[in-house]
Amino acid sequence: MKKFVPYLTQKPISTYHIIQIVLGIIFSVYLLWRLYQVFIANPTYGPDTWARFAISGIVLGSVYALIAIGYTLVYGILFMINFAHGDVMMIGAFGGYFVFEALSFVPSPTPANPEEVFLNAHPIISVILAFAVGVSVSALSGYLLERVAYRPLRNAPRLVPLISAIGASIFLQNAAQLLFGAQRRDYTNPEQITRGQGWGIPIGESTVILTYTGVLTFVLSILIMLGLYLLVKRTRLGRAMRAVAENKSTAALMGINVDRVISQTFIISGALAGAAGVMWGIHLGLVFHFVGFLPGIKAFTSAVLGGIGNIPGAMLGGLFLGMVETTGPAILGIDFQLKDVIAFSILVLVLIFRPTGILGEVLSEEKA
Amino acid sequence: MSKRLYIVTAVLMIASMVFAACGPTTTPEPTAMVEPTTVSEEPTAASEEPTEPATGGEPEVCTSDAFGCAVIKPGQTIKIGMGGPMSGDNAAYGIDSAQAARIAVSDAGEFNGFTYELDAQDDLGTPEGGAAVANKFVADPQIVAIEGHVFSGATGAAMPIYEEAGLVMLSGSATNPGLTQNGSKVFNRGVFTDAVQGKFVAMYIHDILKLTKVAIMHDSTTYGQGLAEVVRDELMALGTEPLLFQAITPGEGDYTSVLADVASKSPEIIFYGGYAAEATVIVNQMDQSGLQDAILFGGDGIYGTDFIDRTKENGEGMYAASLVPPASEAVTAYNAKYEAAYGQEPGKLSPYSWTAYDAAAVLIQAIESVAILGDDGNLYIPRGALIDTVRGTKDYQGLSGVISCDETGECGSSGPVFYVVKDGDWVEAPK
Repeated sequence: MKKFVPYLTQKPISTYHIIQIVLGIIFSVYLLWRLYQVFIANPTYGPDTWARFAISGIVLGSVYALIAIGYTLVYGILFMINFAHGDVMMIGAFGGYFVFEALSFVPSPTPANPEEVFLNAHPIISVILAFAVGVSVSALSGYLLERVAYRPLRNAPRLVPLISAIGASIFLQNAAQLLFGAQRRDYTNPEQITRGQGWGIPIGESTVILTYTGVLTFVLSILIMLGLYLLVKRTRLGRAMRAVAENKSTAALMGINVDRVISQTFIISGALAGAAGVMWGIHLGLVFHFVGFLPGIKAFTSAVLGGIGNIPGAMLGGLFLGMVETTGPAILGIDFQLKDVIAFSILVLVLIFRPTGILGEVLSEEKA
Repeated sequence: MSKRLYIVTAVLMIASMVFAACGPTTTPEPTAMVEPTTVSEEPTAASEEPTEPATGGEPEVCTSDAFGCAVIKPGQTIKIGMGGPMSGDNAAYGIDSAQAARIAVSDAGEFNGFTYELDAQDDLGTPEGGAAVANKFVADPQIVAIEGHVFSGATGAAMPIYEEAGLVMLSGSATNPGLTQNGSKVFNRGVFTDAVQGKFVAMYIHDILKLTKVAIMHDSTTYGQGLAEVVRDELMALGTEPLLFQAITPGEGDYTSVLADVASKSPEIIFYGGYAAEATVIVNQMDQSGLQDAILFGGDGIYGTDFIDRTKENGEGMYAASLVPPASEAVTAYNAKYEAAYGQEPGKLSPYSWTAYDAAAVLIQAIESVAILGDDGNLYIPRGALIDTVRGTKDYQGLSGVISCDETGECGSSGPVFYVVKDGDWVEAPK
């Protein structure tokens, strides 16, 4: 584990550093002024709107966080960015979609309603099934991806697996388009968790709706992230993963099957992406072959933001990015269409001022 | 330093992928109109025509025509090309136009022993797709006319390509006003423009619905932004200042934050300039963003079965624009033919079932009036003369009304009719 050395004592200060510091101060002052404007001096939004922004941000952020952990895990072990990760999420989303579709046709008549379908009669089982299928399909894709696209290139220069990842991503997107068609498909939620419905909380002037799907997404993400953290910290597999991430050759000398650990890492990261994909479908509804692209990029941004290789960093980065996306345009007073610009500008700013990410990089000592 | 460089390189690669992404729903579309080159007077047909020795059969009009002749040999079909979204979210519009045009083609029957064929290609409704399809069509010597394209953005991008090759265009659905304002000689349109549609929309909101708190959103496409701007200007002229004018990025799944921003201004009605794919997502997310009491008003790009299927109960009470042909025997006969062929009433998938038929029929009539049957059995269709003939169409009795083209290429006559969703179906909105 590298200890973070305070920035300013590393070397003599050059003009480049001075410019960075000045720009940083200017930006912080502007941000503080904007916050003052928006909250105190000239409030354009009531507390109900801010509550809505916050809810959207947290829910979206938790989905980004799940996908970001996948990126981080793979980067920590292999030093490569798995560009096809967003498409693994897409595969999971389709898996959940087909389960819900199938279950919405399975009749399970009840005395109250002879037309009832399985999906609405047993919503909890349906959701569990959807997640199970989505997660397994993605985990399998992650595993196959590693075996086919990355393992043969294990000893190649670092740029080569990167290109292979891009190729795999394009392949998966187009394969999905050919198999499933180009039109967007709507998730058929069980009617107990119809999209858009939720608990109404009166805040400010109107009622803010806390959607069932939003709460489900957030709670499930937190549980999964907790589970993963425990897995990495407390189990043998987790210890093996940390060991391989720290120093591959030494881990091999200690008797760890490095290939198997890498496969298991890809399976876990694929599973996480699959869960995120099913959540995306349940909460937002639309799945199509290209759905993994933008969340994949944003999740990668969050992973870098939190410190690539750092699991809590990925979680934090995801939530942070989600919140910034939804509240950023409101705070900065710019057009909502520019929220992607904000997300990527933050990435650039973080790379300039704090390239190790918010929580610091956790990478092994050997540079592969 | 190399670690940082690696990450920065990767970020730049991703950024370049984002900006160059060719996904159909995430590509930002140009909002400025593409300026076509003015029609050149030199014969550019030399590269278009198949190498045919100047036999005695080739009429002399072919050598004097600015674009030469299309030569259809016996056994070949006279092809009419059509570019539209045939797959993806907006497939309903392209498929409906293609189906209508096919009926027109089969109604036309044979001409001097030659049959017509519709070549419908998928341009996804995007400018890139439009240009790609246009390049494909100008390379095919059997294509003599273009119906389309279906979407305004694709039409704008394809127009300069057709202008240079001398292929006449007649669109039954591209409504952006700028398309006829750039001096193009080949483009004609048989449907109302967004300038007309926007005016009707503003009048309806102001006079009939009597709503004053209007928010305007659009999707930054040629069509969507154009229509939204017209509606905004017309509303301001009528004395209603819109509460906000907001663009969204098509393709994002989550519009709740934008809608929360809109909700903070408490609008009674939101006008959306764009297509059904995004409109359905917006309508489904309106309730949870605090817009339970607002209604969505859209243009012709929203109307169709797609909207109702996707929004289910959330779509109740939403408005859109469509075309209703004036009642006549021809319309009744056509409706029956359409329903027999495709199992669905015309005007359900999209508003263009009648204007697309008219566009194909006008093109066919123009082709038949300029085509010359040579002594060698080939059919010669002078392209330049065809362009002028279509532009000069006067008093053609079509399904959607009387079609007469003015000098800029505006040929349509009927205005939009507004529909509202009631009990899961589109019904005409009260006037």
